[in-house]
Amino acid sequence: MTRLATDPEPSAAREPAPPGPTGGSPPGSVIVAACATVVPSDRRAEWQAEWLGELAYAWSVRRRGHDTPISVRVALLLRALGAVPDAIWFRRHYGGDSMLSQDLRYALRSLARWPGFSAVVILTLALGIGANAAIFSIVNAVLLRPLPYASPERLVFVFGTPTDGDSAKVGRSSSYPDFADIRARSRSFSQLAAFSVQQTTVTGKQFEPGIVSGAPVTASLFPMLGVSPLLGRSFSAEEDRPGAAGVAIISNEFWQQRLGTNPNVIGSSISLNGKPATIVGVMPPRFTFPGATAVWYPAGEPNAPQARGQHSFTILGRLAPGVTMGTADREVAGIAKQLETEYPSLNAKRGARVQSMTEAIIGNVRPQLLVLLGSVALVLLIVCVNVANLFLARATARTHEVAVRTAFGAGSRRLARQFLTESFVVTAIGSVLGLVVAYWGSKLLVSNAPTSIPRASEIGIDGHVLLFLLGLAVVTALIFGVLPALQMSRGMPIESLREGGRGTRGGLARRGLRQALVVSEVALAVVLVVGASLLVKSFWKMQRVDPGFVPDRMLVVQIQLPQSRYGGYADGDRVRAFYADVYRRIASRPEVQSVAVAMQHPLAPGWTSSFTIDGREPPPSGQEPESSIRPVMPGYFRAVGAKLLRGREIQESDGLGQPGVTVINEAFARLHFPNEDPIGRRIVRGSWWKGMPDSYEIVGIVADERFNGPRAPADPATYFSLAQFTFNDNWLLVRTRTDAKAFVPTLRRLVWSMDRDLPLENVQTMDKLLGDSVADSRFNTALLSLFAVVALLLAAIGIYGVLAYTVAQRTSEIGIRMALGAQRSSVLRLVVGNGVTLAVIGVAIGAAVALVATRSLERLVFGVSTTDPGVFTFVALALTAVAATAAAIPALRASRVDPIVALRSE
Amino acid sequence: MPPRTPRLTLPTAMVLLAVSRNYRYGFDISDATGLPSGTVYPVLRRLEEAGLLRSRWEAVETARSEQRPPRRYYTVTGSGTQAVRDAIDRYPTLDRALDRPTPSPEPRPA
Repeated sequence: MTRLATDPEPSAAREPAPPGPTGGSPPGSVIVAACATVVPSDRRAEWQAEWLGELAYAWSVRRRGHDTPISVRVALLLRALGAVPDAIWFRRHYGGDSMLSQDLRYALRSLARWPGFSAVVILTLALGIGANAAIFSIVNAVLLRPLPYASPERLVFVFGTPTDGDSAKVGRSSSYPDFADIRARSRSFSQLAAFSVQQTTVTGKQFEPGIVSGAPVTASLFPMLGVSPLLGRSFSAEEDRPGAAGVAIISNEFWQQRLGTNPNVIGSSISLNGKPATIVGVMPPRFTFPGATAVWYPAGEPNAPQARGQHSFTILGRLAPGVTMGTADREVAGIAKQLETEYPSLNAKRGARVQSMTEAIIGNVRPQLLVLLGSVALVLLIVCVNVANLFLARATARTHEVAVRTAFGAGSRRLARQFLTESFVVTAIGSVLGLVVAYWGSKLLVSNAPTSIPRASEIGIDGHVLLFLLGLAVVTALIFGVLPALQMSRGMPIESLREGGRGTRGGLARRGLRQALVVSEVALAVVLVVGASLLVKSFWKMQRVDPGFVPDRMLVVQIQLPQSRYGGYADGDRVRAFYADVYRRIASRPEVQSVAVAMQHPLAPGWTSSFTIDGREPPPSGQEPESSIRPVMPGYFRAVGAKLLRGREIQESDGLGQPGVTVINEAFARLHFPNEDPIGRRIVRGSWWKGMPDSYEIVGIVADERFNGPRAPADPATYFSLAQFTFNDNWLLVRTRTDAKAFVPTLRRLVWSMDRDLPLENVQTMDKLLGDSVADSRFNTALLSLFAVVALLLAAIGIYGVLAYTVAQRTSEIGIRMALGAQRSSVLRLVVGNGVTLAVIGVAIGAAVALVATRSLERLVFGVSTTDPGVFTFVALALTAVAATAAAIPALRASRVDPIVALRSE
Repeated sequence: MPPRTPRLTLPTAMVLLAVSRNYRYGFDISDATGLPSGTVYPVLRRLEEAGLLRSRWEAVETARSEQRPPRRYYTVTGSGTQAVRDAIDRYPTLDRALDRPTPSPEPRPA
């Protein structure tokens, strides 16, 4: 044997690797460290030093601080995987005939001898491990990885909160003056910023006009997050003042998609909602906070007298050094109390609290993701049990081989190690395949993830996911490897060596163990199937909720009429004329069945405003009831298919200058007129602009439109005549006679023939909007159902395997029974009964576990109790049926045993 | 196990040629040849064992100044030079495919 002709620098090879330029080891070091254990110990340090040297160098060249792209990490990880064959090469060349390499070779040989068995085991392991890693990749990106801002753990939201717990009145957002006061009076924050989100019409010379998500922000937002523009600069404090010249920062995506990545974009002019602005910066890729913002502009300190009543801003702060969340929370609550005293009408019951930014962003999805992770872990557990079962079955078939090896002097420890090695080898191969499954699985999950999952763009396979996969593989191999190894090491060599050594005590114990495994497999499957069935039932219920309107063949698009050309709210003539005209033009098309124009579409919660009821004692100032404001054009209810329960619709005659009218929804009637007839009563609300009525007679009651989504009941709502309560921005709702999508080009042409500069990109179908409102439920349901099906399949295979084996073992016994006159049907019953008994025990245990486990689903189900007796009964019957079916094949085989043949083999 | 001349397979020829073209480090060779690291390293081991390549460690000071562990680099030996010629004879197109400017700075031996 030759040594490598190298002159290793011992100190270099043995010295621990110094930290990289900014600390932290390069991705893949873990893989190298794990592989190093395979390399013979006398060459290990040198081998490891070479790999770490390359990884560290490649990392130092390619990393870019916190923004290192995932692709760089993955590329390095893949590189590091090359250490596996290299380490094996070392082991083969320099390892001598160590026991480990003997075990390895023996394991590989025995796997090759049973190709069908090995393939099944490796594939189920790959699917189990891969699916777990894929789900973990989501959990990792969404829940575990810190937010991509400087010291994100110090960032907190300051939310509005109702002091009396009635969230209808006080939402999470704040007014700008409240923000300014909190900023001036608080000591807990080193920085505070406010932002809002606003649909913004962007026009410019170089691109088509469009409505994008815009964010009025304070200049402090970007420095506080620790994010600076890729090009240009952030806003200055001067630009944040009222009356400053208009400036804007655009997102990287906006820059690429609308401006063709024009490098000279800084300084060019665009118009935001009709007001000119100069682009001063482009943000780095993937930065779209808040939400999916495409353009940011200064909030400009709105300080008009009514500004304190307009709660459109969200406050974000960075805790000052040494300040805890609790301290900050008490301080903002105190300031809110001062403001409540100073502005009793506008700030009544308006408290404040702080919540960590991370918690606010991911808190809602945590239960959902943890349920998915738990479920997929159960699947892996079932996979382990099944594989353990397969190994046990094979162990029985190998009893003879083990006996021979024992007779030749192999110790029981040695044998146990041999079997553990085999389980580690199949797991290793399964894990590599599992990595492929995880990669594609995670891509598939991302492309199907509902928009309610935050940070979806960050999901991918990184070092943490690989580490998780590695840990999973080791645990998996131990779980399913230990049982057969224990069994094996307790083999009974002498008895086994005798010809036909059947019915030994070892064999019986083994069968008992396998039956126990099948029972636990069924129990685990019950838990998963119950969970999935609950979600399916709840999804089905959600689908059957009457949304209060008919979504079929309906197109939905928002039109925003810029004030610069159509005048503001106070002067609505041009706006009213436009909508009347567009309504006429669309309604006259032969392919259109009906048209509606409304400020909110039937799935938009919109916003609320306060009112009082005429003839009743007015509540104290600031405590007036609120209702959803929903101005519509005549014919709205018929067009969207909402049921008018009493009275009349909004009509053409309800125009400007006529008496004010309103149609209320059922929720409104129930809350405010529980024992009275609301028709003919009046609601009073301040007139906002000239010519607008200040009181409205209730002329009709309409069935609730579920504008909060199918899961939540509708809030009280008031429908006004758009002519009496005019806004520039409204939705067109067009129901076509045939295919809705086919009408989109005609719709665009019609609108653009009236005004070429109106953006009309987001024409959507109502079906799609309705689907999106339940997308997260659909995602959970689909995934959990998939897991449940896999679990069911594995449990069925497990039952089949055990019974098939039992039947094979008992062939001669069955033969004797039949020779003595047993009927085929009674043999059939015997075997099926055996399978069903196992299933029933498993179902009973599983149901008991499920009763507790499904509590975790409480926040995910709708209209179904997590202990729904129907679901539990259904699952119990279904699993027993599946077990009976799985038992039928070996049972049929048993019933066809020919007594003569069976007895001859004795 | 006596050292034996490895068969001149295409990956072996590519690695050998890459080292002769001054791609000296494992990952650089992998980049230059497009072969995965799991192929490159075992080939390097075989070539070194056969005496066609030899390896050294980069100067510790260089690495330390960049705050990283030292890297190991490979060079072609005298008998390796003949093997490079054989490789080019056998795979003539390979010569042009890899004939790029010297990629990495000359390492100073420790």
